[in-house]
Amino acid sequence: MDVVELKNVTKRFDQFVAVRDLSFSVRQGTIFGLLGPNGAGKTTSIRMIVNITAPDEGEVSVMGRKHVSTELQQHIGYLPEERGLYKKMKIGDQLVFFANLKDIATAEAWRRVDQWLERLELSEWKNKKPPDLSKGMQQKVQFIASIIHDPEVMILDEPFSGLDPVNVNLLKGVIIDLKSRGKTVIFSTHQMEQVEQMCDDICLINHSTKVLSGSLKEVKRRYGKNTVILDYEGPDSFLGTDLIKRHNRFPNYSEILLNDSADAQEVLRRALAAGARVNRFELVEPSLNEIFIECVTGKGSNGNQRQE
Amino acid sequence: MKKVLIIIKREYLVRVRTRAFLIGTIVTPLLMLALITLPIFFATRGGGVRRVTVLDQTGEPDLFDAINRSLDSRSESSEETNRNDPGVGRTRYVLTRRVIAPGEELQTVQTEFQRQAGQDPDITYLVLRGGLDKLEPEYYAKNTSDFSIGTLERAINDAVANLRLRRAGLNPSQISAYTKRVEMKRNKITSSGEVREGGGTDFVVAFVMLFFIYISVLMYGLFVMRGVIEEKQSRIVEVLVSSVKPAQMMLGKVIGIGAVGLTQIGVWVLSALVLTTFGVSAVSSRGVSMPSLPVSLLVYFVIFFVLGYFLFATLYAMVGSTVSSEEEAQQAQFPVTILLVVPMLIFNMIIANPTSGASIALSMVPFFAPTLMMMRIAVVNPPLWQILLSMAIMVATILGCVWLSARIYRVGILMYGKRPSIAELGRWIRYS
Repeated sequence: MDVVELKNVTKRFDQFVAVRDLSFSVRQGTIFGLLGPNGAGKTTSIRMIVNITAPDEGEVSVMGRKHVSTELQQHIGYLPEERGLYKKMKIGDQLVFFANLKDIATAEAWRRVDQWLERLELSEWKNKKPPDLSKGMQQKVQFIASIIHDPEVMILDEPFSGLDPVNVNLLKGVIIDLKSRGKTVIFSTHQMEQVEQMCDDICLINHSTKVLSGSLKEVKRRYGKNTVILDYEGPDSFLGTDLIKRHNRFPNYSEILLNDSADAQEVLRRALAAGARVNRFELVEPSLNEIFIECVTGKGSNGNQRQE
Repeated sequence: MKKVLIIIKREYLVRVRTRAFLIGTIVTPLLMLALITLPIFFATRGGGVRRVTVLDQTGEPDLFDAINRSLDSRSESSEETNRNDPGVGRTRYVLTRRVIAPGEELQTVQTEFQRQAGQDPDITYLVLRGGLDKLEPEYYAKNTSDFSIGTLERAINDAVANLRLRRAGLNPSQISAYTKRVEMKRNKITSSGEVREGGGTDFVVAFVMLFFIYISVLMYGLFVMRGVIEEKQSRIVEVLVSSVKPAQMMLGKVIGIGAVGLTQIGVWVLSALVLTTFGVSAVSSRGVSMPSLPVSLLVYFVIFFVLGYFLFATLYAMVGSTVSSEEEAQQAQFPVTILLVVPMLIFNMIIANPTSGASIALSMVPFFAPTLMMMRIAVVNPPLWQILLSMAIMVATILGCVWLSARIYRVGILMYGKRPSIAELGRWIRYS
């Protein structure tokens, strides 16, 4: 069942078209990656799903219902990319306030607040105010605020930014847990490794239009095994020839994107001929990072670009 | 409207629980009390004894005694004489006579006193020169702006008049009978045609009301603006709009902060009532009349505060939604604040002629009505239809402003970056 569905949605601000003829659907119980460079139209799309703004054309439906009432908002949890807390309000009071706004009665809200603070290791901060908390802790409080009403659909925009690996894992655990309970997550991020780890389906938007969508596996398969992971010692003079479209050199290995018609075996042969010692040679699907860059720039990252 | 209530509750509690609110609520009436009672206190208590040396060159042996008698009768101060000498207080003049003998040079004596007075501020002297018919009293002291000097002047006048009349052949009982003061009573005609005593203190009441409405509306209006900016700047709006409609957010905020204002004003009004009922009797025994505050006036005060607050708070909310920082808000709020300030610049005109056509027209302008109509009510009791008409105009304007502000607000709170132009604001209103 599709929990969220966009059909030919267009949204304009004066002359500027923020989203053009966008369609995608999100299956229940999956994690859906909504991707795209800055300014592509992700936030506008999300705002239409949450019913903050209305589309000029097309249709947005959530849980099978056309999105006209605010009542549906009770079933959506939204963690915006830009988010904040009231500076002069205690963490506990604040979370109860947000829960109240989602129709959770105060007593029940306190019970849930205690539970979530416990789970995200924030219990001792319940009566503190945000300025006393670190940025990461505030981040976790905001996360709780967006899911305290146990929504069917969660929209998380860069939920892990600014968190240390321990806390990232803590939140990932929560998200996977929610998924296993049949909840649906729409996940927007620029961290492609996280998308590869977590998402079932993705949709990539660029310049207000959809450029790519489908299940993650299918998208990668579509690109084929055109990438060579090569770990070698010695000269690299064999690279940068007619065979290779792009070459990302990492400290421990190189990621080599082949030209469409090139044969991977030819790369290996030339490397050996040039006198390099090959420790590892593997033919793989391209990383989502490469697919993203290729879709967005039309040509991919610069050759020989060093990455962290 | 459950969600509006939740927001009202948050806005109210978050502010009422602050120390600033407690201090503002309790300290302001105390400050007002002090402002009203301290001058009375000092006027009635202060002064003490002032010793004045009289350099007497008149050659009139009776004049000095007459002045002394006149002063004595004043310091016994019946309430009546005190009302005619406002701010007299109980300063007691002790006069010492220094006769300038016919052969003596007044200038020399005076120079000596002047030199001493320069070193000792307590030395004060009075020069009496010329005969009884053309007396020219001159008063020399470090402080010549003291209210009580008037008492001395009046005492001298009375004494001189008294002596002149006695010279003309009248006996003391005739003199006191002929010079007895008459007093004019001030009666105020209300709009319903009744006659009410008093009126002298109406100006004070009117000004206090004007000032309090102005300050409260401005203060709480700016609270609303800052609240909106805080939510926008910290991006809390993004989370809020996923649960609440922007119009509900705005309404909740305006009502919540307004409730804080009403709480504060409620405390003030109550303390004003206590002050006037108990305070009046306490100070009027000292001979100074307290401004009396009819309950109806306090009711109007609350009504005009509420209407004025709603009018300006929605406008301030709108301004807050279009800016991204407090600095930008400083400029953007100017057109709204000027509407509130204009009455403060022209209220003198209104109070001088509160029933003129211009005054009536100005007090009907919705943005001026909270202050100017309130003031006219305090001064002249305008006909009820005028009061009701100004309220109706305000309510209509409020509805218009709420609509306009809500349209702008819902777009503005989600727009960051550069401030919109008027043309852009116009387009925002039309967005779906």
